[in-house]
Amino acid sequence: MPPFAAFLLKRLGRALLTMWFAITVTFLLLRLLPGDPAVAVASTNMDASMRHELLKQYGLTQPLFTQYVKYLGQLLHGNLGQSFTQSQPVTDVLMSRLPWTLLLTGSALILTVLVGVPLGVIAATHAGRTVDRLVQTSGVIGQSLFVPSVGIFLLFVLGLQLKLLPIGGAYDENAYGLGWYASVLQHLVLPCVSLVLVSLGSYVLTMRATLIESLGEEYCLLAMSKGLSDRRVIWKHALRNALLPTTTLLGLQLGFMVGGAVLTETIFAYPGVGRAIYEAVTQLDYPVLQGAFVLLAGTVVVVNMITDLAYGLLDARVRTA
Amino acid sequence: MNKLRTAGATLVVAAVTMGLAACAPGKKANADKGGSNSGSSSSQTLTIASTTDVVNLNPLVGNSRTDDWVTNLMYPRLLTINADGSKQPYLAKEWGYTDGGKTGYFVLRSDFKWSDGTPVTAKDVAYTLNTIKTQNPKGGVVNGFMTNMISAKAVSDTRVEISMKRPDSILVPEVGFWTVIVPAEQFGQHNPVDQFTNTSDWISAGPYKLTSIAKGQSYTLTRVTPYPMAPNGTPTVDKVVFKIYPDVNTEILALEKGDVDVIANALPPAQVSVLQKQSGITVEKVPGLGFTHMTYNMKRKPLDNVLVRQALAHAVDYDAIRKVAVQGQAISANSSPITPSLAEYADPSAKEYTFDPNLSKQLLQQAGVSNLKLNMIYSMQDPVVAAWASIVKSDAAKAGITINLEGMDRNTYLAKTTNGDYDIYAGSFAIMDEPVSNMALQYLPDGAINYSQVNDPKLTSLIEQAQATTDKTQIKSLVQQASTYVRDNVIDNIMYVQNLYVAHSSKWTGFVVKPSELLSILDPQSLANVTKTG
Amino acid sequence: MTATAEITSVTAESFVEAPTAAAQTWDAFRRNPLGLIPLAILALLGVIAVFAPLIASYPGGYGADVLQAPSGQHWFGTDNLGRDILSEVVWGTRVSMLVAVCSSALAIALGVLLGVLGAYFRRIDNVIGTVVDLCLSLPVLPLTILVAALAGPSLQTIILIIAFFSWPEVARVVRSQALAVVNLPYVDAARVIGGRHTWILRKHVLPAVAPVIVVSIVLTASRAVLSEAGLAFLGLGDPNSWSWGRILYEAQQSGAMSSAWWTTLFPSLAILLLVVSATLIAIAYNDARNPKSRQR
Repeated sequence: MPPFAAFLLKRLGRALLTMWFAITVTFLLLRLLPGDPAVAVASTNMDASMRHELLKQYGLTQPLFTQYVKYLGQLLHGNLGQSFTQSQPVTDVLMSRLPWTLLLTGSALILTVLVGVPLGVIAATHAGRTVDRLVQTSGVIGQSLFVPSVGIFLLFVLGLQLKLLPIGGAYDENAYGLGWYASVLQHLVLPCVSLVLVSLGSYVLTMRATLIESLGEEYCLLAMSKGLSDRRVIWKHALRNALLPTTTLLGLQLGFMVGGAVLTETIFAYPGVGRAIYEAVTQLDYPVLQGAFVLLAGTVVVVNMITDLAYGLLDARVRTA
Repeated sequence: MNKLRTAGATLVVAAVTMGLAACAPGKKANADKGGSNSGSSSSQTLTIASTTDVVNLNPLVGNSRTDDWVTNLMYPRLLTINADGSKQPYLAKEWGYTDGGKTGYFVLRSDFKWSDGTPVTAKDVAYTLNTIKTQNPKGGVVNGFMTNMISAKAVSDTRVEISMKRPDSILVPEVGFWTVIVPAEQFGQHNPVDQFTNTSDWISAGPYKLTSIAKGQSYTLTRVTPYPMAPNGTPTVDKVVFKIYPDVNTEILALEKGDVDVIANALPPAQVSVLQKQSGITVEKVPGLGFTHMTYNMKRKPLDNVLVRQALAHAVDYDAIRKVAVQGQAISANSSPITPSLAEYADPSAKEYTFDPNLSKQLLQQAGVSNLKLNMIYSMQDPVVAAWASIVKSDAAKAGITINLEGMDRNTYLAKTTNGDYDIYAGSFAIMDEPVSNMALQYLPDGAINYSQVNDPKLTSLIEQAQATTDKTQIKSLVQQASTYVRDNVIDNIMYVQNLYVAHSSKWTGFVVKPSELLSILDPQSLANVTKTG
Repeated sequence: MTATAEITSVTAESFVEAPTAAAQTWDAFRRNPLGLIPLAILALLGVIAVFAPLIASYPGGYGADVLQAPSGQHWFGTDNLGRDILSEVVWGTRVSMLVAVCSSALAIALGVLLGVLGAYFRRIDNVIGTVVDLCLSLPVLPLTILVAALAGPSLQTIILIIAFFSWPEVARVVRSQALAVVNLPYVDAARVIGGRHTWILRKHVLPAVAPVIVVSIVLTASRAVLSEAGLAFLGLGDPNSWSWGRILYEAQQSGAMSSAWWTTLFPSLAILLLVVSATLIAIAYNDARNPKSRQR
């Protein structure tokens, strides 16, 4: 299938470009903004020359371009470097955190879709009526919430008062076997719910808008005139069309969430990448920061590729275009 | 078919998530290995919450407070400390100087054992001291006390001797307290030692030993026997788990619910009375051994003028800061660098600067300075300082002085501090246990924490005289002269000594309280003896 | 971010407005309570921001009553230094709205400029389009944290950072809207006749993208409020000025969020009120402009 191969190649090129851009931006920001990593790790009695020696060890005294080329070369070998403060390979530092972030954002996304589609359909089919207004308004309220405040509220009510859910962490250290999986789920509920709460709004609004549009299009009107039931038209014809743009949106949103989960992870004490990034910022741990951004960009690119491919497979129009 | 598409789109997302979730069980296998001896219902676990994550488990590399709490349970100090800063035996049972003060020594207990079965000997101590001296591991503090040390030598299994360039009264007690002893066998295989990450196969001298870590979430330790400081040589708790709660509010909720038993970091001052009132929670007072201060950068004009510094010192309502921002949990330092907690040395005649904006105005006029605008840096990671910074600002405004607050992330703050890039520095030191060494670090021209950038021959001479003698009364007199000089010339503005408060579940009893946040109720001797009653 | 995409994509449907369109739009808008009420709230917040000094005294220094629950004397209670939270919220309105207005103005200026240029001059369109797409795929919040921490906290820094990371979204929607106009026969005709670029841009393209800009302003501004609060909450805010984010930050630092609910609730409500109102206005405006939904 040559057209499909071309489509695939184009996407791959795009993905590589995106990665390169994210890597370069991070690299430059770290070096051009003020900040001295040697100060963060130096002993109390290290004088300026000893700190300079440290910077030299880290390779930060070389010309910018040399550093950049070296770093890219390193990356091509799959080497993210070594953390300044933790003395461990960056991969070790981040890989223990990445699964949790992906579990959290992935499950939040699925839940957003599962709840968002029916809500969007309800709003679109009742456009202008009270139900629609209610759905819209609550969607808007959801995405305007300040996560930490909601988080503390949820923890206070469901965690402390009702004692339904654990407070903090991703699993229970004392649980084994099936119980371990149960504890993972329990710990996931609150952070996941608060992420869904904030991301649901935009998803429902988009769903509603595209649905209203496609319901007005000819083939839907035609289907209705043929005497197909409203339900059939909506779920089989209009929704199909509306799902395509929202699928792409999902890809975008995942990227947004993975990075944007810092506040959620902080308040729920969830050991994800977002928190690791924040800590690396306060320690000026350049390699960890760079590595984290490579991972984040990578995740977004991969998910976008998958949604793109799904899009392409689902819709022949894209394949031939 | 259309349903298929809908399902397809969802499936893609689902598949991604599932694939990732599948990574998780690998973690679990780790946890299984670690907790092999747990699972029996009688086993006791003490769960400790902390707001900062572990950064580096190599105890020779200084980083976060949680690093210290965890590694303190595995690597013994030579000496420990009392609330007045006096040193007490721990691994070392005797210490002192011979050879006219040019040789220091430690005599060790013989009953400490590493968890691999070998005894903790003078060889481990000599290795640790020499490594710190020669390699100066990054982030460490001990090397700063070793200026006059030549090398350490194990003269027997239980005696270590330190040869010195010249007599130095602070070397033995400071090195004894600040150094934690690591197993020479294990750490010696790594060069440079600060590259050793110590993330597995831990060897501990007790009372507990790391068995598994879940980065960003928890650090689990299990009991080590024999541990000589525990009843019958057996620490009372099976498992100690450190859990990380980046947000102090969540941490407090977790304690109230019972998900954690202890909050390790000092409570925010305003929460002390709230938690004291709660049933099921006990709040312990940890005496402070450091101080909080502001220094004025004397290399900058017009702060080189003593009148201007005096004007600034009189434009702060110290009482209000202690009462409101620290909630009455601090005592006045009487504006002296030798605070009342160092009872042996403190000068009872020292008086705090009064809050008198009019006097400030007069002093400024006298100095011929008007329209004074200064910036003040402090770390946002120090919430108490960040809270009173705005009080300093509004007090100064009453004396016609504009202070621009520059609260910043700890690291930027450190960078600015190191480069002397500030007018006013505000911050605190956790432990100031030895007057002579503290003054040397703070007020000698090349001192590591000389934040006022002072270079005053008279002060330098007083401190250097105190360093060179081992005669107690002479040291005391010199220290008091120096502190009066510092106070009168506002070379440093010591504001208060804060007592810290930590909270734990009332179900646990038997905590031993040690001074400062570093030891607190998490000192090895404390955690080896706690029991669960409820 | 995605809300903008949706709302503006609807706008793209109705680009050419008849002379009476504005009146029709206002007429439809007026009849929608979900447009009018938020508009009134936003206006009220604006008034509070402007007249803050008349409403409450500046929350400086300290007070004797620490963490007091709301009472007749302190309607919103007091914080950990005994300061009145009502005054903090009132003065916070000022700073939060200032950040919102300034950063969105900057983002809009940059976004509109690049978006319109891209649509109009096809040769540079590819470059601009790619740059916008690349910027959109950056992990925004972590980068914001990074820059804020390294550059040091001040109001200017925060405004610049937020603006810098929100312009690509504006550029994207403006570009797609402008493209639709540029391709219209009469604009093409004007070009063929040899009309000056600036004249065509000013006369045809800008009026067509104006509605999108209106929506973008509102949405970018409201998101800026949330971003500022997030940064402040992480300790990266400006300690010299009271924003809603700073009130929340101080509540967090003093561990008062759960035991002294009023320290958290009121600033959070203020944020919610502003962002919800702005978003609802944008939605109502679009609905009012869209003939399809006007019929309903």
